[in-house]
Amino acid sequence: MSVALENLPYLLRGAGMTVLLSVAAAVPATLAGLCMALARRRTPWLGSLLDGWLFLMRGIPLIVLLVFVYFLLPRTGLDLPPFWGVTLVLAAYYAAFMSEVFRAGFDALPNAQWEAGRSLGLSEPLLLFHVIGPQALRVALPAHLNLCASLIKGTSLASVIGLWELTLASLEVVERTLAPFPIFLSAAGIYFTICFALDRLARRLEVANG
Amino acid sequence: MAEPMLRLDSIEKRFGEVDILRGVSLDVQRGEAVVLIGPSGSGKTTLLRCINMLEDYHAGSVSLDGAPVGYRLEGRERIRMRDSELAAVRADIGIVFQSYNLFPHMTVLANIMLAPMKVRKLSRDEAEARARDLLLLMGLADKADLHPAQLSGGQQQRVAIARALAMRPKIMLFDEVTSALDPERVAEVLTAMRQLASEGMTMVVVTHEMAFARDVADRVVFMEGGLIVEQGPPQQLFGNPAAERTRQFLGRFMNAEGRTCG
Amino acid sequence: MFDVRFIERVLPALLDGLWITLAIAFLAFAIAVPWGLCAAILHRRGGLAAALTGGYVQLVRNTPVLIQLYLVYYGLPMAGIMLSAFACGVLVLAFQTGGYAAEIFRGSLASISVRQFEAASALGMAPFARWRHVILPQLFLRSLPALTNQAATIIKDTAQVGVIAVMDMNKVGQIWLEKSGNPFDVFIALAAVYLVVTTVVGLAGRLIERRLSFVQ
Repeated sequence: MSVALENLPYLLRGAGMTVLLSVAAAVPATLAGLCMALARRRTPWLGSLLDGWLFLMRGIPLIVLLVFVYFLLPRTGLDLPPFWGVTLVLAAYYAAFMSEVFRAGFDALPNAQWEAGRSLGLSEPLLLFHVIGPQALRVALPAHLNLCASLIKGTSLASVIGLWELTLASLEVVERTLAPFPIFLSAAGIYFTICFALDRLARRLEVANG
Repeated sequence: MAEPMLRLDSIEKRFGEVDILRGVSLDVQRGEAVVLIGPSGSGKTTLLRCINMLEDYHAGSVSLDGAPVGYRLEGRERIRMRDSELAAVRADIGIVFQSYNLFPHMTVLANIMLAPMKVRKLSRDEAEARARDLLLLMGLADKADLHPAQLSGGQQQRVAIARALAMRPKIMLFDEVTSALDPERVAEVLTAMRQLASEGMTMVVVTHEMAFARDVADRVVFMEGGLIVEQGPPQQLFGNPAAERTRQFLGRFMNAEGRTCG
Repeated sequence: MFDVRFIERVLPALLDGLWITLAIAFLAFAIAVPWGLCAAILHRRGGLAAALTGGYVQLVRNTPVLIQLYLVYYGLPMAGIMLSAFACGVLVLAFQTGGYAAEIFRGSLASISVRQFEAASALGMAPFARWRHVILPQLFLRSLPALTNQAATIIKDTAQVGVIAVMDMNKVGQIWLEKSGNPFDVFIALAAVYLVVTTVVGLAGRLIERRLSFVQ
């Protein structure tokens, strides 16, 4: 166990990178998901396009996409560092699922809420911002948080293409110390702490929503 | 008097601090139809559920046809029956619930055949013949292959009665079986129960249908506060109740009924 | 850019890997479903059993499969347990999927009214018969859509077993990506096979659902 304790600072630095990566991916994924959910309400053809995307993201493993982008990047001529490549893939992957969560949130609202807002003469953006948005987000938030936890776990796959974060950090330490049990357990414990906290928060919001 | 079909002896039951049944004793003779009435919360449904141990009780004993149900007495100790023993006793006690509780994944016919085949070990043919006979009796012969959700409430409740009868029980318990039904569906279920009583089935019925109690019951039992307040033949209980509480309860009831009917 | 000849060469190699992928997914799923069912039924008893199964589900939900794979593959030999990489993959995915299956069954079980248990026991059915004929059929039917999703998920998750040196389809694909210098075509072929397999699983699930469903 002392091995774990000695290397904990290193693992925690890796966890810092994991969190950074997660935030960098979750923010654009959330925004894109929200935009997609809104856009498909008014533009039907966009809906089938997004459905196609969702179909792809649902059917292809995340690791396949990550590895592909890793091999593709050097050939594009773009000088995109791996961090942003991974961020891009994670964001694109989770945006699809998040758009579904937000769509369900919007669909959960009775049409009467739109009608009531319109009958008051509220413009569409005002209506969205003050009436529909707050209610729909409240409904969608627990599922959204669960997706964020899933995204955090997904960042561990970045280690496969050599991006340094918690999982790669723990692999390095294991290689050096030959103590897989305590080290991987510590890493699992760190992931668990972060994801479990999100899970509890989601559960609490769910209960509050009734 | 002959040995009763059902004997309840000083049943006591609490939910937390609240006494639901405070020592209820009741004998039901073979072929007798007993109707339990009383305000809600009087303990009548709980008493009914204690009979086949759907509800556990803290003191007292139940026996069916001379054999103990739920608890066996060994010396002065009450021993709770094992699940398998309990299952065997319950097979002889038919119960029909307020909310039908049919098995939604099975056809009407399969609902009725299941327990006879799995508990009574009847062959498929025997079970099916019995089930079809009962459906005919209930006027549902053409519904055999439908699923419960395709039936009206009244039809579902008659299937539930047939399901219980298919076990050839020694006694039938009815727990407010018409309370969840649309008013126009109540009669079809009551008719089936009436017929059952006239054929000599031993029955204990919890109901708010006072007309049914008056016409069908051999004995009416009025409960309140976890106790039997008064019991007797319907003419006596409805015509000339002895206890003040019975009078109040029935008076209110008759008035209410008068209003809804008038 | 898109070279049909090249794909003709990649595809057989990928399909060899696909059998490994499917074997792992199938075995893991076949273990996970009864395992998850037991966990869900245990959970219902409350007390210590519920705490343990609840903890198990949380553990599975909140740690990455990758870490679990490393832990088992590198950790078990330290405890003197030698398992093949293939077996480690099956074990981890079964453990993982079992947790999600337990959640699914727990939810379905909670949605089945206690009155169904009551009605069955009132008919004199012993506990085993109650579960076998009344509760389990309803439980499976209610759980089927979510289980189908889980089956597709497990196939996608097998793509990670390459890290512990199992030659599954993704690992084969990765090797081709590296050596062929033609990442685009390899990716297309790999993605296409995964899409076909997960879609077929989804359709099969829906088909079974339709066959078994009854009027609710």
